[in-house]
Amino acid sequence: MEKKYIYLSVLLVVLALGLVILPGKDDPKETNPKLLLSSVTEKSRYLSADQITHRIIENDPTLLLIDLRPASQFKTFALPGSMNIPVDSILISTNIEIFNQPGKDKVFYANSDLTAEMAWMLCTRFSLKRIYVMKGGLNEWFQTIIETKSLPVTASSADMELQSFRIAARQFFTGAGPSTVAPGAGQSSEKVIVTRKAPGEKSGGGC
Amino acid sequence: MIGPIVSSGLISPAWDNIFAVLLGMGFGFALESSGFSSSRKIIGTFFGYDFVVVKVFFTAAIVSSLGLLYLSSLGLLDYSQLYIQPTFLASAIFGGIIMGIGFAMGGFCPGTSLCAAAVGRIDGLIFFGGMFIGVFLFSESFPLFEKMYYSGSMGAKMINSVFGISPELFTFLLVLMAIGMFWGAGWIQNRVKKIEY
Repeated sequence: MEKKYIYLSVLLVVLALGLVILPGKDDPKETNPKLLLSSVTEKSRYLSADQITHRIIENDPTLLLIDLRPASQFKTFALPGSMNIPVDSILISTNIEIFNQPGKDKVFYANSDLTAEMAWMLCTRFSLKRIYVMKGGLNEWFQTIIETKSLPVTASSADMELQSFRIAARQFFTGAGPSTVAPGAGQSSEKVIVTRKAPGEKSGGGC
Repeated sequence: MIGPIVSSGLISPAWDNIFAVLLGMGFGFALESSGFSSSRKIIGTFFGYDFVVVKVFFTAAIVSSLGLLYLSSLGLLDYSQLYIQPTFLASAIFGGIIMGIGFAMGGFCPGTSLCAAAVGRIDGLIFFGGMFIGVFLFSESFPLFEKMYYSGSMGAKMINSVFGISPELFTFLLVLMAIGMFWGAGWIQNRVKKIEY
């Protein structure tokens, strides 16, 4: 056999041996089905629209918002600071690395809960930690924050406080004025009775 | 092209078809420059006077295996996105026998026949035409073979998983096997009467 073939053969064997010896990527471990079931039944995976909004406004560095909708919808509107990972590409290794980031709360959202729940299930099954779902998705966030409804004047102080926060948050996201939806607004105000002087009646007194 | 070449998005998937054409041209060039457009060279494998076909294809298999695994470990290729052709065991065995007989009789496989036809070899052109007649007849009589065609379905099965070993270890064993085969082919070739063609 010619020397060049011997060298090539040795090179191939060394390269192949390198693959065996070098530490390979750890395959994600699958969660035990019993643990998965208990995770599914508990509700701690949900974060409300108010909680998410508060963390966005506070510029919380531990929050990582992941928009699971298609790129076209993401371009139209997305929550500030969120990144777009469509649900069909969620298990690509580069995305798994994002979900594996330590010290971050990965919050999935889409238009409703369904897609985010699917993604949460896949990631939880892959033993990924600190994965959450924004309850109700963008639809609920929009209704809660942007289309916030007025409260009756009899509302509790806690509700009033929450309402004030939502109005401020709406101002933060849209730039709308704070007085547009004030507590108690929308309630029918008392009718003002205007007493008019009868025609032809003379004024009494005065100068 | 099946799957992105660069999973990081460095190269847009819109380029995939361009790469497919370039890679196809490269493949054709490699076949032709290896002498695969000659049926007498290809048929040498069956008579023991020329093992270039086995050597080239084994080299391609080990180089691509090593390349895929190294690129994957460097994060340049997403191994999970590779499309794996599903295995239908019965039809693969049956098809393999037919392909082997056709290979030995005609001196070409589908790819090399295209290569031979492209350089104007008459036997390549006839083989190429015959291949399309075969495709037509098979398509028309498919209902007769349908049951056998889909039998022995094993899904997207990787051979290393059949043996219960890692892809890296399997590639290492494949490389050893290939080198053993190269040596064995050379040993046989030296003992068989040389044929000039």
